[in-house]
Amino acid sequence: MRPFVYEQPTDISTAVAIASRFATDDDQPTRANAQFIAGGTNLADYMKLGVAEPNHLLDLNQLKEAALRQIQVTDGGIRFGALVRMGEAADHAEVNRRYPVIADSLRLAASGQIRNMASLAGNVLQRTRCEYFRETSWQCNKRVPGSGCAAMDGFNRQHAVLGVSDACIATYHGDFAQALIALDAVVHAEGGHGARKIPFAKLHRQPRDTPHVETDLAAEEIITAIEVPAIPWARRSLYLKIRDRESYAFALASAAVALDLDGETVREARIALGGVATVPWRAGAAEEALQGKKLDEASAGAAADAAFAGAHPRQHNAFKIELGKRTLVRALLETRDMKV
Amino acid sequence: MDAAAPRPKENQGEPLPRVDARLKVTGQAHYPADLPTANLAYGALATSRIAKGRVTKLRLDDARAVPGLLDIVTYGDMDKVDKPKFGNSGATSIGPLHDRTIFHDGQIIALAVAETFEAAEEAAQLIRAEYEEEKPTASFDSPGTKTVAAAGKSPMFKEDVKAGDFDAAFAAAAVKIDQRYSTPTQHHNPIELFSTTAYWQGDQLVVHEPSQNVTGWKVELARQLKMDPANVRIVSPFIGGAFGSKGPMTPRTAIVAVAAKRLGRPVRCVTSRMQAFGTQTYRAETRHRIRIGAGKDGRITAFAHEGWEVTSRPDLYVVGGTSATGRMYGYGSVLTHVSLVQADRNTPGYMRSPPETPYVYALENAMDEMAVALGMDPVEFRRINEPKTEPIGKKPFSSRSLIQCYDQAAAAFGWAKRDPKVGAMRDGDWLVGMGCATAIYPSAVAPCAARVRLTSDGEVRVQCGSHEIGTGIRTVAGQMASERLGVAIDKISVEMGDSGLPPAPVSGGSISTASVCSAVLKACDAIRSKLFAAATAEGSPLAGSHNEEFDLADGKIVAKSGASAKVEDVMKIMQVGAIEEYAEFAPKGATPEALKKLYAGTPEFHGGEQDEDSVKYAFGAEFVEVRINRYTREIRVPRIVGAFAAGRIMNTRTARSQLMGGMIWGIGQALHEATEVDRRYARYVNRDLQDYLVPVNADIKDLQVILVPEVDHAVNPAGVKGLGELGNVGTAAAVASAVYHATGKRIRDLPIRIEQLLA
Amino acid sequence: MSQPSALSTNGLSRRKFMAGTVSAAAAAPLLASRAEATAPAAAQPKLRQPVITSLRINKQAYELSLDARTSLLDALRDHIGLTGTKKGCDHGQCGACTVLVDGKRVLSCLSFAVMNDGKDVTTIEGLASTDGKLHPMQQAFIDHDAFQCGYCTPGQIMSGIGCVNEGHAESENDIREYMSGNICRCAAYPNIVAAILQARGETKGA
Repeated sequence: MRPFVYEQPTDISTAVAIASRFATDDDQPTRANAQFIAGGTNLADYMKLGVAEPNHLLDLNQLKEAALRQIQVTDGGIRFGALVRMGEAADHAEVNRRYPVIADSLRLAASGQIRNMASLAGNVLQRTRCEYFRETSWQCNKRVPGSGCAAMDGFNRQHAVLGVSDACIATYHGDFAQALIALDAVVHAEGGHGARKIPFAKLHRQPRDTPHVETDLAAEEIITAIEVPAIPWARRSLYLKIRDRESYAFALASAAVALDLDGETVREARIALGGVATVPWRAGAAEEALQGKKLDEASAGAAADAAFAGAHPRQHNAFKIELGKRTLVRALLETRDMKV
Repeated sequence: MDAAAPRPKENQGEPLPRVDARLKVTGQAHYPADLPTANLAYGALATSRIAKGRVTKLRLDDARAVPGLLDIVTYGDMDKVDKPKFGNSGATSIGPLHDRTIFHDGQIIALAVAETFEAAEEAAQLIRAEYEEEKPTASFDSPGTKTVAAAGKSPMFKEDVKAGDFDAAFAAAAVKIDQRYSTPTQHHNPIELFSTTAYWQGDQLVVHEPSQNVTGWKVELARQLKMDPANVRIVSPFIGGAFGSKGPMTPRTAIVAVAAKRLGRPVRCVTSRMQAFGTQTYRAETRHRIRIGAGKDGRITAFAHEGWEVTSRPDLYVVGGTSATGRMYGYGSVLTHVSLVQADRNTPGYMRSPPETPYVYALENAMDEMAVALGMDPVEFRRINEPKTEPIGKKPFSSRSLIQCYDQAAAAFGWAKRDPKVGAMRDGDWLVGMGCATAIYPSAVAPCAARVRLTSDGEVRVQCGSHEIGTGIRTVAGQMASERLGVAIDKISVEMGDSGLPPAPVSGGSISTASVCSAVLKACDAIRSKLFAAATAEGSPLAGSHNEEFDLADGKIVAKSGASAKVEDVMKIMQVGAIEEYAEFAPKGATPEALKKLYAGTPEFHGGEQDEDSVKYAFGAEFVEVRINRYTREIRVPRIVGAFAAGRIMNTRTARSQLMGGMIWGIGQALHEATEVDRRYARYVNRDLQDYLVPVNADIKDLQVILVPEVDHAVNPAGVKGLGELGNVGTAAAVASAVYHATGKRIRDLPIRIEQLLA
Repeated sequence: MSQPSALSTNGLSRRKFMAGTVSAAAAAPLLASRAEATAPAAAQPKLRQPVITSLRINKQAYELSLDARTSLLDALRDHIGLTGTKKGCDHGQCGACTVLVDGKRVLSCLSFAVMNDGKDVTTIEGLASTDGKLHPMQQAFIDHDAFQCGYCTPGQIMSGIGCVNEGHAESENDIREYMSGNICRCAAYPNIVAAILQARGETKGA
């Protein structure tokens, strides 16, 4: 690991100011001289591996703004402070009651210890676990822009089939983000140009020809909160995660589903897919395919086909198309059958 | 009693808690990298990113500039040291710093040593190598492999066993199958990281390193360093899981020893999880072709097992499981052949039930296919083919309780409720399948020495250079002494894991309990003889009685007649405060050099298939239930039952735990574990516990172990068959059979994964 | 919510820096103030400058001079000599390094020690009472043979206590799921579940 200067800003504006001081114009947050740390479960790992090499590590855990650590339930929905830990949010009674899909997505992620450490904002910003990205001896366009992609024709069983490019097929492995994108969450951020709101769907960027550009955030920008709008029918929602073993593994495929049903007919569906895409993935085509339809195995199957219409498989991950479809079908039917 | 401590049945010892349990739950058990060491310097390895070629240049300037860097050991620095040798004590013949040739991915190219761990790591990451790269050969089917016959290439694998005329019998068989199976590369991944700590005291070298073979390592390390073995000490008091990975010493040990010598201070190098994949051994990738022919009555008339195994360029490691599969059932004729396929890979090695895990997987998966082909219940099919003698040398089995294992496990599992029709069993959205398979493991034993001391106040110390890798060997060795000397277990201390102790064989091949307990038994019996002789001498309390009529209990010598004398009093007569006996045990059939070879770290193995009088195996039967989601096809194992017979069970608690662990390993073999190779570069891809999956707690639900009573006086004086490796043999085949039963899909390539069941 | 302690006026926590290059860390219990080594609050930290970190470990105060890169795990093992906490992967993939920080189970390998300044850390060495009486979870692990090699055991025990205190040990399935971050390669899983069930009641009260 490269040495770094450790600092503990105590308010958001100071944190932003320090980060700005070390940032250059073309800095991506993941390549900046100064980087933020909260739980450390992703960044500390990547610093040990030499993937992340900040000169300054800005510990956000001493920030004094109380809202950063709070979950606020309002008429308008629910607001998660950025420093709330995953475990706390997963166990929060109102989160479980109003948004089962959020609670599930948190509970099925990582391990008890990691959920106690990882902040919600850090979790949504977690970087891919692509084996070729993790180890610095491989070529990787995300880690070293322009160096090539060893995963493309390598062992790519884990890799994405949606949102891929010729430069990168690394999967976005997070779970929580799938629930957030399905529910139209909004991210609050503060940076050098003040505070702003980012629709969750705009937070992450598909790799295209710049896979090292992972988010819309500027190098000095800090996520302060994540807001989920009130969706009364989101009580009929769940997160289904399919993996090789029962727990403590990344999704091979997952689905976040929320349904507004009129009897068995779909008024509105919200669908996001995990484990199969390069970024949190809202399956808009599948949602449209279901609208106004009676939800059964056939219509669910048609929606799943629509969701994967643009999929691009590689040698070892072609099965994810079929698995992803089946995961969505199962998730839709299980959501339909929920006792709400 | 609770599940962890089964009530002992005939020929089974008490489920005493482990003697080192308190140390382990309080953090006071010191594994080698925990041992306090003053003035320690930290080492970190730099490894190759190519699999074949040469290092043309190493750029060390950036690394040397790291504050706190003390030294870099690399090419040229090992020239005065001999290269490693490949064998039971040496993982490979590759001396990574002796030669700039790169034989495999992850080969050591330098060791950075610094004042702190952080500085050493930083420096190691800054070492830059330039290579002359060649196109490597990754595995089977890659261009450039070289195939050689395995027979005779390893002392453990002398020949391709055969019997009768296979070709004629197979041609004539009414029902037959001809199928191919495969198993992947797997790494042991014990949770303890591999580490070496070395320091010099004058010309004496002390090494703290987790080891299953301290005596073998002492001798091999002394050879490499051109030292007298008496000046080398390997210390390994606790070992954080081994599974074969800590059996042979790797080249790192000598490199760290050299670094410590150059610096004149202790050096500790803890290998990272990633680096372990290339610097340690692993389970070789294997392929199998099995042909079975049988009559319509289900009697097998022809059995052929051909195996292919990947190994490295320089070393011919043999997996070679045909000596067991060729003797498993009463086949009419047997044909076997094992081939080694050399590629640009690191040298494989022993991993829990090294030959049996892959080879019995193939055999038992084929047996299930054959039962299906015959339209026969798979348990019945095995019952029909139960042999009187083994088919190769027509020797009897010293004991064989396979059918009892099947009967008891089947009853506990509820096999009778299985609907044999494929896909017939369902629970909601879950397809249910049930399958079974045989477990077998050779019961071997090796020479072993032990020192036992009984003091007049009833304290016992047992010393033996064996290794506590989690098997419970400390506990059962103590139990043996407790039983023979009539002393409570809490008065017994057991010292192990130090090459300064009386030598024991490698803790591998499931030989430890048999070998160590036989040596401890012999030492205890020598103490008994001395005591009994003294007690019956003229003028002593039990004068006139005969030795064989005595026992020791509660600090007393007790005669059959009921007369007794205190050990303390007899020692007074003897004018001693303690009796200490050093025993050397050599198994039946041992050569005249057997004990000398024990001290040289190259012990002979006896038993298994090697004895003249009989073949010696432990057997078991495993039954599993799988559930497969009808949509998403993930496979779960909610229930597994295993029944095992392994001669005398020293301690039902530790025996059950080992078998349970083995069965869970089997589930991992079936569904999770595989080291993936990037075939373009012959490099491992998933080199960590994030991507190399092993079972976690949530994968295991209802698990039952049945210890089937068995008495076998022929195996060794202790009557013990090893069982540390038995539990994970056959499991993967039982899972594969259950998956077939649930889905109609016969998966022949491990691990069985979702993608194989989606189509 | 109370404000974090040690606030200064410049928006930065008042860190303490030690002059000089990397040195073998001082690992003594806090006996005397190290005020003489404390730089003024406004001083800018420098690369490779050791950071003074105060930790309360098993109810004992320690003040350490650490390379900022030092993980909490390495601080415990290499700087304080508490080697009961184990390194199994160093990347948050095995759970062997689990300790309690302010009562919550966390992975000490993924936490820089300096980020734990002022916190309460409990390790396996801090569980048994001074008279040698084992914590109920330790005793339950012995009773149910919930380990073989013992290497993952300290992490399992700390995680088991954390799991019970979080309220996630209500059923066997709960325990299995919430203990899945602790890999036991010897695979003592069923025995670990039995041990946590046994110790659950007493642990809650402990």
